[in-house]
Formats: sequence, C-alpha cells, structure tokens
Amino acid sequence: MLAGSLAILVLVLALLIAALLRRPAQSDDSERGTGLWLWTLGLAFPLTTLAALTVYGLQMGERLLPRDTPDLVTVTAEARQWAWTFGYPDAPGLATDGVLHIPAGRPVDVQITSRDVVHSFWVPRLAGKLDALPGHVNVLRIEAPAPGTYSGQTAEFNGAGYAGHVFTVQAHDPAAWVRFLQEGPP
Amino acid sequence: MTQKPPRRGTALRLHRQLERIWSPDPRFRGWLTTNNNNDVGRLFLAVATLFFVIGGLLAMLIRAQLATPGSAFMGPEAYNQVFTMHGTVMMFLFAIPFFEALAVLLLPGMLGTRDLAFPRLGVYGLWVYIFGGSAVIVAMLMGLSPDGGWFMYPPLSSAAFSPGIGADVWLLGITSIEVSAIATAVEIVVTVLRYRAAGMSLSRMPIFAWYILVVAVMILTAFPPMILGSLLLETERALGWPFFQVENGGDPLLWQHLFWLFGHPEVYIIFLPAAGMIATILPVMARTTLLGYGWVVAAAVSLAVLSFGLWVHHMFTTGIPHLGLAFFSAASTLVAVPTSIMIFSWIGTLWKGRVQMKLPMLWLLGFFATFVIGGLTGVMLAIVPFNWQVHDTHFVVAHLHYVLIGGYVFPMIAAVYYFQPLLTGRFHYFRLGAVAFWLVVPAFHITFLAVHVVGLLGQRRRTWTYDEGQGWELLNLIASTASFVMAIGFALVILDIGITTFSGLRGKRNPWGATTLEWAAPMPSPAYGFASIPIVRGRYPLTDDPDLPQRIARGEGYLADTSRNRREALIVTTTTGKPLQVAVMPGNSALPILLAVVTSTSFLAPLVQAYWLSALALVGVVIVALVWVWTTAPRQSEGLVDAGHGARLPVAAESPDPPGWWGSLFLLVADGVHFGSLMFGYAFLWTVAPNWPPPSYLVPTLLPVLLALGGAAALAAGPRLAARAVATGHRTALALVLSLFGALSLATAAASVMLARQDPAGHAYDAALWLLAGHVGFHAALAVIMLGYLALRRISGHGLRVGEARIVSLWADFTAATGLVALAAAWLPGTFA
Amino acid sequence: MTNILRLALPFTIWLIGFSAIYALQGLTCSRHWPEELEPRLALIGGAAVFVVIQGLALAALLALQSQSRFVQTAATILGTAALAAALWTVLPVLTITVCG
Repeated sequence: MLAGSLAILVLVLALLIAALLRRPAQSDDSERGTGLWLWTLGLAFPLTTLAALTVYGLQMGERLLPRDTPDLVTVTAEARQWAWTFGYPDAPGLATDGVLHIPAGRPVDVQITSRDVVHSFWVPRLAGKLDALPGHVNVLRIEAPAPGTYSGQTAEFNGAGYAGHVFTVQAHDPAAWVRFLQEGPP
Repeated sequence: MTQKPPRRGTALRLHRQLERIWSPDPRFRGWLTTNNNNDVGRLFLAVATLFFVIGGLLAMLIRAQLATPGSAFMGPEAYNQVFTMHGTVMMFLFAIPFFEALAVLLLPGMLGTRDLAFPRLGVYGLWVYIFGGSAVIVAMLMGLSPDGGWFMYPPLSSAAFSPGIGADVWLLGITSIEVSAIATAVEIVVTVLRYRAAGMSLSRMPIFAWYILVVAVMILTAFPPMILGSLLLETERALGWPFFQVENGGDPLLWQHLFWLFGHPEVYIIFLPAAGMIATILPVMARTTLLGYGWVVAAAVSLAVLSFGLWVHHMFTTGIPHLGLAFFSAASTLVAVPTSIMIFSWIGTLWKGRVQMKLPMLWLLGFFATFVIGGLTGVMLAIVPFNWQVHDTHFVVAHLHYVLIGGYVFPMIAAVYYFQPLLTGRFHYFRLGAVAFWLVVPAFHITFLAVHVVGLLGQRRRTWTYDEGQGWELLNLIASTASFVMAIGFALVILDIGITTFSGLRGKRNPWGATTLEWAAPMPSPAYGFASIPIVRGRYPLTDDPDLPQRIARGEGYLADTSRNRREALIVTTTTGKPLQVAVMPGNSALPILLAVVTSTSFLAPLVQAYWLSALALVGVVIVALVWVWTTAPRQSEGLVDAGHGARLPVAAESPDPPGWWGSLFLLVADGVHFGSLMFGYAFLWTVAPNWPPPSYLVPTLLPVLLALGGAAALAAGPRLAARAVATGHRTALALVLSLFGALSLATAAASVMLARQDPAGHAYDAALWLLAGHVGFHAALAVIMLGYLALRRISGHGLRVGEARIVSLWADFTAATGLVALAAAWLPGTFA
Repeated sequence: MTNILRLALPFTIWLIGFSAIYALQGLTCSRHWPEELEPRLALIGGAAVFVVIQGLALAALLALQSQSRFVQTAATILGTAALAAALWTVLPVLTITVCG
C-alpha cells in the first residue's frame, strides 16, 4: 500500500512539474485534453486502483473476523478509568488486573466492555483496536504466535490517566496455560 | 456597442451618489451599525485570523510538551485542555469563519451584485460568532476549558466524568457559532441562486460560486445533527435527561453517530471552499481557462453528497459488524474519485496554459505537494484492517494536518495574496512572502512526516507524555523543532500581509488579468460594489468585453438610477439569470448587533446557572427580531419600478417569492435535517441501545390525537387562505384566526405528551418524548409569533403582502408536517404495544 | 429552482439509499427484521431496490429534459455517477459476511 501510494504521488507530482515546465506558445482556452486529463487520469485511473484496494482491504477484514474454530478460547476484558480487569470463563472466579493471560498459538476471543467511559483495547502486535463501550460487548479475535509478553494499551482518550492506561498480554505455552487456569497467576 | 467618448463625469457623479447611499456611518459606531459586506467580511477575516493565531499558539504548546519524553512542562490536566482547545479553535473558530469571511467579501463581486442577500443576517452571524468565540477563549484563560478532546465523546464528557463547566462552555459556545454559520449559509445560498448579474445563467457562474453554493447547502445539512447532539448532551448534563447513559436507556454511540454525521462533511465543508479558490486562481495564474468546468461542478456536487455517507469510517473500531464497515469503506474510497477529477482538472489546466510563478501560484504548488499525500493516507485509512491499527495514533494526526493545512490553509493563503489588491487596493512588493513560503512548506513536511512515522511506531494521540526507549524521542524532537520553524513562517505570512495592507503600492485594476466580474469593480472595492449591475454574455465577462469595467462605472448596466435614494440590487431567475425583481437592501442599523447580544446572552447565561437571564434574553430575541422585521418591511406599495434598459420590475418585497421566502425555505432545510436527526436518534436508541424497550409506554388518548390532526390541518390551511385573501383583496381575519387555532391545538397536543410522562430524566424514552413534544411546541410558538406579526401588519393599516403570508405559510406547513410525524412517533409505539 | 433540484436529485437518492441499506443491515442483524427473510437475502433485496430506484432516477432525468443544456448535461453526468456509486457501495452485500 505504501509503495503504491508512493508511485501515485510520484506520478501526480511528475505530471504537475511537466505541466509547469511546458510553455506552449499560445495558451489554449479550449476543452481539448478532457479525454486524457479527466476521463483517463481523473476517472478511470482512481476507479481501477481503488476497486483493487477496496476488494483487497475487505478480504483482509474478512480473514480477521472472529469465526468459529474448535480450539477457541474466550476471555473477558473490562475497562475502567484507568485499569483493565480480565476474566476467564474457563476458570470461573479467576480475574487478573492489568495482565491478560492467553494461550499462545490458539485463537482467542476477547469480549470487551467498559464500566464507565469509552476505552479501546489495543495490542499492536496481536490485532487492531476495538472499543470498550459501556453497555455493549465487542468481540476481538487475537492470536499470539509464540509464548511471551505483548504490550497493550488503551487507544481512545479517556481522561487524565490516559497516558498511563496500559496493560500487558502474557501468552503461555499449553502447560503453563493449564497451570494458570488451575492455580491463577504465578 | 457603438464607440462613445469616455464620460468620466458620469462615472464620478454616479460614484458620489452611490457612496452616499451605501456608506457606513463614518464615526466609530459605524463598525457596529454597518451591514455592508466589505466591512462585515473584513471584521470576520480579522477575527478568524486572530483565532488562527490563538490555535497556533496552542499547537506550539503541544509540540513543546511532546518534544522530549517525560516532559514536566505541562501535566495531563493542562495538556488535555490545550489539545482539546487547539482542535476546537482551529475547526470551529478559524477554518469555517475564515472561508465564510472570504465568501462574504468576494461573492457579491464575483456574481456581479452589490451586496449579499441578507446584509443584516450577515452582521448578526458575525457578532454571534465573535461573542461565542470570545466566551470560549475567556473560559480557556480562566482554566475552565473543556478537556475531553474536540469530539467530546460521552460518557467522558457527561456530568459524572466531566464536572465543572468546561464541557458546557464547549457545547454552548460551539452551538452559538454553528447558529452563526447557518445564518451565513442561508445568506450565501440565496445570494448565489438569486442575486447575480443580468444574463449570468448557471453555466456562466464563476466556479467559486458553485463551490460555495455546495458548501453552504452542506452547512445547512451537516450542522443540524451536531446541534442536536449538543442539545442532547447539554440537557443530559444540565437536567439529567439520560440520552447517553446506558443504565437509563441511553447509548454513548448515539453521540458518535451524530457527531460524525456532522464531522465528516465538516472536513469537506472546509476543503471545498479552498478547492473553489484553487479553481478560481489557478487558471488566471496559467493564463487560460479551467479545464472541464462542468466536470468540476459535477465533482463538487458528488463529493458533497458522498461526504455524508462516510461518517462511520471514524467509528471503524466501535464494533459495528464488518458488512456495515464494508459499506463505509467502499464509500470512503469512492470519495477519492471526484477529488481526483478536481486534481487532474487543475493539472490539465496548468498543462494547457503558461504558468506565471507569482506568490499565489507558489502556495498552490504547496497545496499540491501536501494535499496529494494527505489524500493518499486518507485512502489508506479507509481500508478497514489498516484503520484498526493506526486509529487514534499520531498517524491520524499527521493525516488530518496534511489534509487541513495542505488542503485548506495553503490555498487560503494563496487566496489572500491573490485578492489582496482587490480588497485593499495595494500591491505586494516585498520578498518576505517567498521567504515565509520556503519556511512554512518544508518545515510542515518535516514536522508531519515525522508525526506519521511516530504514529506508525505506535505513539497514541492525546497522551500528555511518553516514556524513553520506544524509539520516539528523535522523531518527536524533529517534529517539534520543525513545527517552531513553521510557526515562524506563518507569523511572517501574517506580517507580510499586514505590511502590504497598510503600506503596499497602489496599482491598476485587474493586475492578474483575471476574467471574472469581481475585478471589474474599482480597487479597493467601494461599499456599493458596482455602479450598475453588469450584463454578462459568457463565462468570462472580462475576456468577452475588456471595456466592461468602464461601462459598469458609467452606469450602462441595470439599476444605475440613484433617484430612489436607497440601496438596490437585482434579483434574477435562478437558471437563466434573467432580471426578475428589484431588491431593496436595508441601511445601517444597530439591530443586528443587538439581536446578537441577546442571542448570545441566552446561550451563554446557562454557563453561570443564570437560567432566568437566559429566559429573559430569549424574550429579548423575540422582541428585537419583531422590531427588525417590522422596520424593514415596506410601508406602501409602489408597483413596477424602472430598473434600467427599459425593464420595469416589481420590488422584491411585493413579489410572491421575496428573498425572505427563499431564506425561509433554506432555513427550513436545516430545520428539517435537525428534525430528521432527532427522529434518527429516537430510532437509534430504540434499536441499538441496551435497556430498551422502556418499562412502560405512552398510550395516547383520543382528544390529543384529534387536536393534533385538526390543528395541523388548520395550520396548513389558514396561512394559505390568508395568502389567497391578500392576493385577491379579501379579508384575512378569519384565515388568521383559523391558523392561530391550529397552532394552539397542535401545541396542546404536544403538551399532553409532556403531561402524561412527567419524568424525562427517568429513561431515554421519556427524554426523547419531551424533545419530540418540545420540537412541536417550539414551532407552534414560532407560528403564533409570526401570525401575531401578520395580524399587527393588517391592523396597523400598512397592509399585508402576499410574500409575507407565503413565508408564514411555509413555516406553518413545516410545523404541521413535522408536528404530525413527531406526535405519531411518540404515540404509535404505545398504541401497538 | 427545479434545475438545482435536478442536479441535487441523483446523489440525494444515493445518500438515502445508502443510509437505508446501512440501517437495514443494523436492523436485520440486531433485531432480526424482517423476520421471514434470511439476512443476506433481505440485504440483497434492499440493494436491488436501491439500484433500481437509482436507475429510474437517471431514466427520469433523461426523459424530462431541462431547457438549460448545461443543467441537462450535468444532471446526466451526476445521474450516471450516482448509479455507479450505488452499485459500488452495495457490492459488499454479495461477498462480505453478514452480521459478523
């Protein structure tokens, strides 16, 4: 997308410079040139690039949708000013503050909601962001490729404590995940 | 035309007579009583520039804070106020008023008329803006600014999480400025459609007139949702009506929809006037004509409407289903097509012409280099998965600055340089302008390229500080340093323009060799604009007829006769530009500023809990408005008057469709969108909000339903009968009584809704019912006031005019129709539940 | 005035149709309305109605010529563009997961 954008930018600026350098002997007040400038460059060119880009973007979005899979894990995330509490339906009663524990290598659905204002759940390396809205539950599909720690943050301005409103995601290997569900955080 | 010897004497005599008729009061008070577009526009421009400086200083504070990690310069409380105010000031107090100011200054000249359609409405808009904007700034200086970000998402901006008056300052101040923008928009639409040179058909209009027409209609349709949103949030904050509180049937998402329903068109409301300026200036700089005039008009119209179908792309992360997002993603990429048509039309224009590298052209090149990048990052943001990653990071900040500074500020600077000779009569002779350009544009790119990158590296917007070790330090330092250079450059631009304004060289007419009518006026443009209304035969009148300026000055157009001793302008047919009516413009008056004072008081008094003062001021609004209308209405009929060139035309006030009728029509468009937004909000809560349906329904009884039906019928029929009676010379008393009965019945039906549900703070359903009933009651009250005015006119012996009755009829129809819809929406769910 | 309306009509219809399809998507997913129809069928039906109306608007603009040649040309361009925009913006109903 970046390379394509750069190519378009270079094309437009090159045409602009060519237009500036061109000094016809006589100014042309006619409407000649609509075929090239308007039909081709103005209309056909963006239509084709945008069509390709839109289709590509929508397909990508489709692949990121939370679909049913057999080894799905569900966790909950509740935001408030300025903390996150995570819950684990697989281990009722278990709750962690500020650290979300997930199994690595398995798709995880995060059910996101808020107790007060609008927040947004964002772990840049795992997925895009999804808002935490009071009264609504939004589901985000994430999957950690390998065990480890991933940093996450709130990404919707939520008042004085916004800058420090961060959390981490701890991805466990299968054994550690089972241990976590039984014994809670180490 | 036959050869005639120059008759300077005629021109000078005409000039002196017109000066006497059109001039403002020469004393200081003239600034408060003038309603001439030259004065109003200049004040508007100066005040908007002042707000730009304030917004710029706030931006410097932000960059100073972010220059280093862990900065101790500001804490989060101060920083949150500063970035909120920066966005608010730039969007509401600078961007919109600035182009309105240019439109007020230039539009009459471009269209070949003498002033805008409603000069006093323009003054009123100006003062409401000055008072509202000042209140916001004063609050900031007292440390009472809003701090929830310029889009004020509830519940963060609700009373529970934002106590204090910061959010109220925002809601009331910004709403008053929106009222001002709507006033100016109505004025612009009616001017473009009706007040033009003779023979200026739609296809001969200068391209800027098309752009500004489109923009004005957009203001009328985009601002009402925002005004409704502000009304909902303010009633929630002040009275506890729970529109955004989930526990009581509200939903914070409703705000986001209403805000972005306004907020996205807003971006194009800001861009399109700048595009209009580019399309005006660029062909002149290239000594040719715009390539594809019709294409550009069609692109502007389609861009305007498409921009209303994009609002959800600001809400891609709110959990809306993917198909919903897909619609908006498709529409968002589509919007690049008309933009691309404009860009290539302009480059094609440069291609076929010979470009002169004057200062305005330089800034236009700055526009191209910047805006294209902003457009491309915009397309990236329309792609849903990418948006999910960079939303609310500095990448978005950089994108919007590329679009707004590149797409708006640079072309506007070009426009100011380009039109400066016309507005001040002075020429630019300094090298300072080029120096400023080479400071601003490169520094801008360094600043915001760095901001793009730091956003891609994950820095969130609106964080007051950041920690070391994330790879952001250097980029932020570069961005901050370059931004200070850019600020110095902007300061030099303002200084340069100031120096030229007060000490530039005097020069000859039409220095750029432009082809449009505004350059046919003397320089600087006098209060009356044109000594006579020009007659045009093509799209480029100054090319078609180089002698046109002299002929206009000698009074060879329409309305050169000053013997009626009043300000007159020509009204033409919308499509063909055939002379139709003679408009009599009002003279200098203190009424507009007085109305602005009482309006602003009624808006701002609630900030200090002075609700009684607010109510009192509202009564003042009614009284001043009535005096205003009463004193501008003509006392006697004069039939057809001589407009020159053998045309005998009716005076506008005696026509069935006076300017007031057209103004009302477009004001009602805005009112209708407001009502539509209210219905949308009601339906939205009903379908989306948790905690619905409400615990109990309003079940209507027979009497209010009959009152509503009968009232609406009477209100629709009464003013019509009155208009017909006036036209045929019959008695109007019965028709007026019937109308009054209709308005009162409808109001009673609305009151029954409130009486049946006495706790609007209990559930969003009840709060919505009160707003629906309030809409009906408010418009019924307005109808009563208007009918009272008609009755007074009749009793006073001045006589009623058909036009006046038809204006009231328009409002009555709206009241009856929306009243029935509102009451049906209130009653039907209870009937079927 | 009718000429101005002529120019405004095509894309106004597009805006109404676009909003209606979006609203239908919300209704069918959150409230299962209309009840008898499968969501995708309801949406495809809605999209078809939208495109047909948009096409009828273009046909009407072509049938009822304006006396101004400029307005007629501009209205035809806008009508065609709005029809293309309608097709473009409803295409997702065919491919994208409904209610996901």
